[in-house]
Amino acid sequence: MLDITLSVNGATRTGSAEPRKTLADFLREDLDLTGTHVGCEHGVCGACTVIVDGRAVRSCLMLAVQAVGSEVTTIEGLGPDGGMSTLQEALWDSHSFQCGFCTPGFVMQAAAFLQAHPDADEQQIREALSGNICRCTGYQSIIDGVLLAAERNRQS
Amino acid sequence: MAGIVAERYTGASIKRSEDPRILTGGGRYVDDIKLPGMLHAAFVRSPLPHARVLSVDVSAAEALPGVVAVFTGSQLEAITVPGPDALMTLMGATGPTPEFTLLATDKVRLVGDPVVLVIAETRYAAEDGCDLVDVEYEEMTSVASAAFALDPDSPPVFANLGNNIAGQHARTEFGDVVGTFAGADRVAEFRIDVHRHQNVPMEGRGCVASYDADSGVLTVYAATQSVHVTKIAVAMRVGLEQDKVRVLAGDIGGSFGLKIGASREELAVAAASRALGLPVKWVEDRSENLTASGQAREESFDVRAAVSNDGDLLGLDVKMVIDTGSYPGMGGMVSGIIQAMLPGPYKLAALGFESTAVITNKAPYVAYRGPWASETFVRERILDLLAKDLGLDPLEIRLRNVAPRSDPPAAMITGRPLVGVTTKESLERVAQLVDIPAFRRRQAEERARGRYLGIGLATFIEGAPGPRSPDGPSGPMGMEFMRLRLAEDGMVELFTGQMPHGQSHQTTLAQIAADEFGVPFDQVRVVVGDTDVVPFGLTGGSRSATMTGGVALHGARQLKVKVLDFASQLMEASARDLEITDGRVWVRGDPESAIAVGEVARQAASGRFGAEEPTNLEVEATFDGGEGGWSGGTHCAIVEVDVETGLVKVERYVAAEDCGALINPAVVEGQIRGGVAQGIGAVLLERSAYDEDGNYQSATFMDYLLPTACDIPRIEIEHLETVPLDADVNFRGVGEGGMIVAPPTMVSAIEDALAPFGVRIYEQHLPPARILELIAAAS
Repeated sequence: MLDITLSVNGATRTGSAEPRKTLADFLREDLDLTGTHVGCEHGVCGACTVIVDGRAVRSCLMLAVQAVGSEVTTIEGLGPDGGMSTLQEALWDSHSFQCGFCTPGFVMQAAAFLQAHPDADEQQIREALSGNICRCTGYQSIIDGVLLAAERNRQS
Repeated sequence: MAGIVAERYTGASIKRSEDPRILTGGGRYVDDIKLPGMLHAAFVRSPLPHARVLSVDVSAAEALPGVVAVFTGSQLEAITVPGPDALMTLMGATGPTPEFTLLATDKVRLVGDPVVLVIAETRYAAEDGCDLVDVEYEEMTSVASAAFALDPDSPPVFANLGNNIAGQHARTEFGDVVGTFAGADRVAEFRIDVHRHQNVPMEGRGCVASYDADSGVLTVYAATQSVHVTKIAVAMRVGLEQDKVRVLAGDIGGSFGLKIGASREELAVAAASRALGLPVKWVEDRSENLTASGQAREESFDVRAAVSNDGDLLGLDVKMVIDTGSYPGMGGMVSGIIQAMLPGPYKLAALGFESTAVITNKAPYVAYRGPWASETFVRERILDLLAKDLGLDPLEIRLRNVAPRSDPPAAMITGRPLVGVTTKESLERVAQLVDIPAFRRRQAEERARGRYLGIGLATFIEGAPGPRSPDGPSGPMGMEFMRLRLAEDGMVELFTGQMPHGQSHQTTLAQIAADEFGVPFDQVRVVVGDTDVVPFGLTGGSRSATMTGGVALHGARQLKVKVLDFASQLMEASARDLEITDGRVWVRGDPESAIAVGEVARQAASGRFGAEEPTNLEVEATFDGGEGGWSGGTHCAIVEVDVETGLVKVERYVAAEDCGALINPAVVEGQIRGGVAQGIGAVLLERSAYDEDGNYQSATFMDYLLPTACDIPRIEIEHLETVPLDADVNFRGVGEGGMIVAPPTMVSAIEDALAPFGVRIYEQHLPPARILELIAAAS
């Protein structure tokens, strides 16, 4: 077992894990942050996406030990205390999701993307989210929500 | 009117009450359950499609630190009740049923068949334990195709059946089949295939089973479409009285028909928890999900069509074979619905139908969004192929054959009346929206430049719930139940057996009840997912819009009467003069008199009004579907096929849908778009592929391809004004239609794009390689 210390959602968290333990499992099992979902464990579906040092990563493909010393943001830490970010509000307003399982991954992927590309158009957003799979919605409502968030961000 | 004004919610795209939790990581899915002392399960699975199990050695696994228990198939049999599949029993399956065990004992029947259950302190340790289990197999000839399964010499997958026939649907004739074919101008013959594909919810199957030895109660935290059906299945197999099993469910990450009842793995985990007296969690990984959770479709149809030279489809004669895979599922049960629905909204005067369900060494057949959908695929494909033969436009042949709305309504030759069906209107509306003549001009111009555009359309109806038949006393879909109460905190509580897994019931049912009872939307609490408190019910078959929407409406009305009866004593006014608006009871015309409904409930509970007065502000409501009605619509796709690469791009997709009155348009449109996306995926990408020996080829998301945000176009939706049939409840189901009609729509468009090559399409799965083959074969 190895000692793991990292920053998660702005707070220093410590734990210990086997070297083979994925970041996704560490977040969910050791830190009780179950908002990060595990959908395929082979890096295709994107449900487990979290932000590590500013970049969206698949926490099923990253080991917990690789995140030592990093700053990790999960779905639980995206909005202001107890609330929703502009992106989350826009997704709510757009009826973006249905079952909610893919949701945290999409939200984190979109958050990281909009941060870097605030003026993205629809096609760029579709491409940026094409590594995340949603089985419920046909994607249009998600794309509309991200476009709405981008517009609101630009206005504020 | 002096007043208290209420907002009206039904019919508006009210923001979902589910979203604040799912958007912030607050959803509670089965894998999020963590109980004290909880253990983790993993399964050793068969690498072979069909083999005898010669020996199983679990000693090394048992010795591994962290491993707590190992169960072989025979050990599990000793602690469970043998018997047929619970779901099949519930659905009234008859005839000889395959004898099987929860874990394989003497033989394995598919790649992924569970053989040994390892339980450990962590999932990692459980999987380590699986690696140490040594199973010796003797390979048998596998039954990897329906054609081989039909061969009497194929080795029986279930020895007690003696062959690989799961069920026969005897030939049935409606109308004068012989006469119709004899008198027809033409008889066309086709063989149409629908390929195997599958649900793939983003959350796979899973459960946490927790047995409490002191109370003797087994609690199962499930991901299921019905907590009560899961409870029945668990109690039967684990051998407990029904009242000793409690099933709970929280958020569920999709299902699309997969999560009904309890799978063999879930039953094994439940039995293990009981044996160990400890909580055990099993959550399948994606490989297990793709390999062993279940698959759908894989049907072939030998079709003869009697047709006039003018394009009247007069009669059909259809022989279906369905490959139901290995262990019993729902495969034997779809043929009846396919037969009943084959005529669709058309004037078909004669139908002959027969079907054989076969057993193969593949994953079991499970329900997948519109399990009977192939009736629509086959019928719409036939119409397109006939249109080509006769030189008719696809729209023209459909308009020619669609049954006109009449009084009394026309009926399908198989029996059900086509009351309130708006197929003609949806066909005409879609044609208008896409402007077919303008498209044809553009198509001709682009073809001249070497670009191949195509347009396709298809239409469907869905019995969601279906019309009330004159002789159907229990309504089109049986009964729906709901318990409703006014709680002392002023909340109107709805207890429903619906088990939402994306359908937004907590929003839509609250909209209906809020309007009918007279409280703000957020003053309704929809309670689901606990067999101890919710009535029997099931989410599936597109039933909830009508059935649960209806019982919510009528139940809220009944509850209101009860509350006003009590309030009339409290307020010393006649109940007839009282109204409930915006969460307050008031004497009509006197806003000063208003009392909050919560206060009324608290007064009722206080008992201050004496024992003879009603104090229990609760009702149990039922609904039989009322007059029911059909859902339906027409979809149209415009595609471009790159004839060099075989890639298909969907340029435009338009749907004109009629699902009656809309409860929440955004929710309805989400259901339609999601279904269409699955249908587009089924045609362009998805296939549950086996090699010729029955080895599964699609066990990862690199092999089983799902559509992404770049594959699915904007889907334009227009809602048609429906024909109201019922005095109160005209919401109709919309869950399955998109998945039912998108595949024939897409295939129709692709065939149209390839018309210059003379391509005719008799199948549903058209990935680039197959499109190139079709072009090459036709040229």
